Amino acid sequence: MLGFGYLSYWTRFIVEGFIVTLEMTALGLSGGFIIGSLLALGDVYGGKLTRILINTYVEFFRGSPLIIQLLLFYYGIPALTNYRWSAFTAGALALMLNSGAYQKGYLKGAIEAVPKDQLLAAKSLGLSFRQTLAYIVLPQAYRIVIPAWTNEFVSLGKSTAALLIIGVRELTSVGQTISSLTFRPFDTYLAIAVIYFVWIYLSLKLTEYVYDRLKIPGLGESI
Amino acid sequence: MSGEIILEGKGLWKRYGSLDVLKGVDISVRKGETKVIIGPSGSGKSTLLRILGLLEPPTKGEIYFRGENVYAGNLNLNRIRAKIGFVFQEPSLFRHLTALGNVKLGLKHVLKMKDEEAEKKAMEMLRLVHLEEWADHYPAQLSGGQQQRVGIARALAMDPDIILFDEPTASLDIELTWEVIEVMEELARKGITMLVVTHEIPFAKEVADEICFMEEGLIKECAPPEIMLRNPKTPRARSFLKRLLGAYGGI
Ligand SMILES: Nc1ncnc2c1ncn2[C@@H]1O[C@H](COP(=O)(O)OP(=O)(O)OP(=O)(O)O)[C@@H](O)[C@H]1O
Ligand SMILES: [Mg+2]
Repeated sequence: MLGFGYLSYWTRFIVEGFIVTLEMTALGLSGGFIIGSLLALGDVYGGKLTRILINTYVEFFRGSPLIIQLLLFYYGIPALTNYRWSAFTAGALALMLNSGAYQKGYLKGAIEAVPKDQLLAAKSLGLSFRQTLAYIVLPQAYRIVIPAWTNEFVSLGKSTAALLIIGVRELTSVGQTISSLTFRPFDTYLAIAVIYFVWIYLSLKLTEYVYDRLKIPGLGESI
Repeated sequence: MSGEIILEGKGLWKRYGSLDVLKGVDISVRKGETKVIIGPSGSGKSTLLRILGLLEPPTKGEIYFRGENVYAGNLNLNRIRAKIGFVFQEPSLFRHLTALGNVKLGLKHVLKMKDEEAEKKAMEMLRLVHLEEWADHYPAQLSGGQQQRVGIARALAMDPDIILFDEPTASLDIELTWEVIEVMEELARKGITMLVVTHEIPFAKEVADEICFMEEGLIKECAPPEIMLRNPKTPRARSFLKRLLGAYGGI
């Protein structure tokens, strides 16, 4: 019979796992945001060699399974370098680099969506290239990118479940433990799925609200 | 005109790929002067203005700003650009900033003014172009003519030594053209130094000290409006003006 009462015993573990999931998502998204921003700027404004390097990186992280990347970071790199790191560190790093590759694509599109005549106008005012990026290009690109970035959050938030493969104690791996100790896989995994769903649903509502607050007439509405 | 020469191009040459767009243009604008450039589409007018505004370098030739060769030595080009205002054909306002924000930006980040000081100055400039009530509006909430006037205020705010206008009314309909031209005439009368590409002949007639005819990458002839509009020397200027003035009911 379906029932969730037994789960109250496991509440602490579930909460702890959920917090790790939150942390991993936040780290992956924010690290990926910084990496993606730099890569996007390099790809739009950089020289040929820079662009080739950036796109090789992006192809690697987008073209291989996240699970392989996690295994590579947790087992592969320490084996090669003799430098051991925790599953948490390896996982966070892999997530950042992975998300950075995706975010680079979105940010590049957003940077290129800022009309070129504004760059010329900025130049004519005497703004340096850096100032033009900081005050003209990025503030517009970051607003334009919000919808795509929201998708990246949904995707990455769910992808953190893959961390179970390297033993990070996030929500899914906690679910797996509970399920095997209680012999109630259906109820347990259903409950875990509902937690993911509610979390992502509420977060989407929040980003929608923030997006509306940041919205500027005539900017990025068509994207 | 006998004032100091503010901006001067000598032997300006510009080549894009295998296309020579400017073929040795000489031009100078003196303090307080309003100079108008006319000429057929593709003759290189916009290219000339972009080069004089230091937005791109010439392939050959020199530019002097207040007597200084800007590409010789290592002058701070951004500092000179800040002193050369530019108003573009397409309104090129920063879309994420209000009218006020657009005018303030250069004041804060190039001239390093404090926020209140920049705000005060920017409001003053918006008043000059009759838009103080629109200060809080974003570009998308303004008409084309209003956007162009914000663009003028933005250029003007920097206290430039000269403002270059590249057909600022070409993409506006007649009524909106009027409100922009009116503002430009007010500036010319105030003694602001201006180099204006335009085919608004009434404007040229009213305030230009000199009209230059440009064709195929060269300035073919410069003369005061009363001469250029009645009796230009070169046959090409003559036929170009005849067609242009046809639209205004003859010379
Ligand atoms: N960045 C560029 N790259 C290549 N060709 C260019 C570039 N800019 C301008 N040209 C070419 O240079 C020529 C002159 O262009 P320009 O825009 O200066 O003419 P214009 O006199 O301003 O014309 P219009 O009256 O139509 O504005 C055109 O043939 C144009 O295609
Ligand atoms: Mg032009």
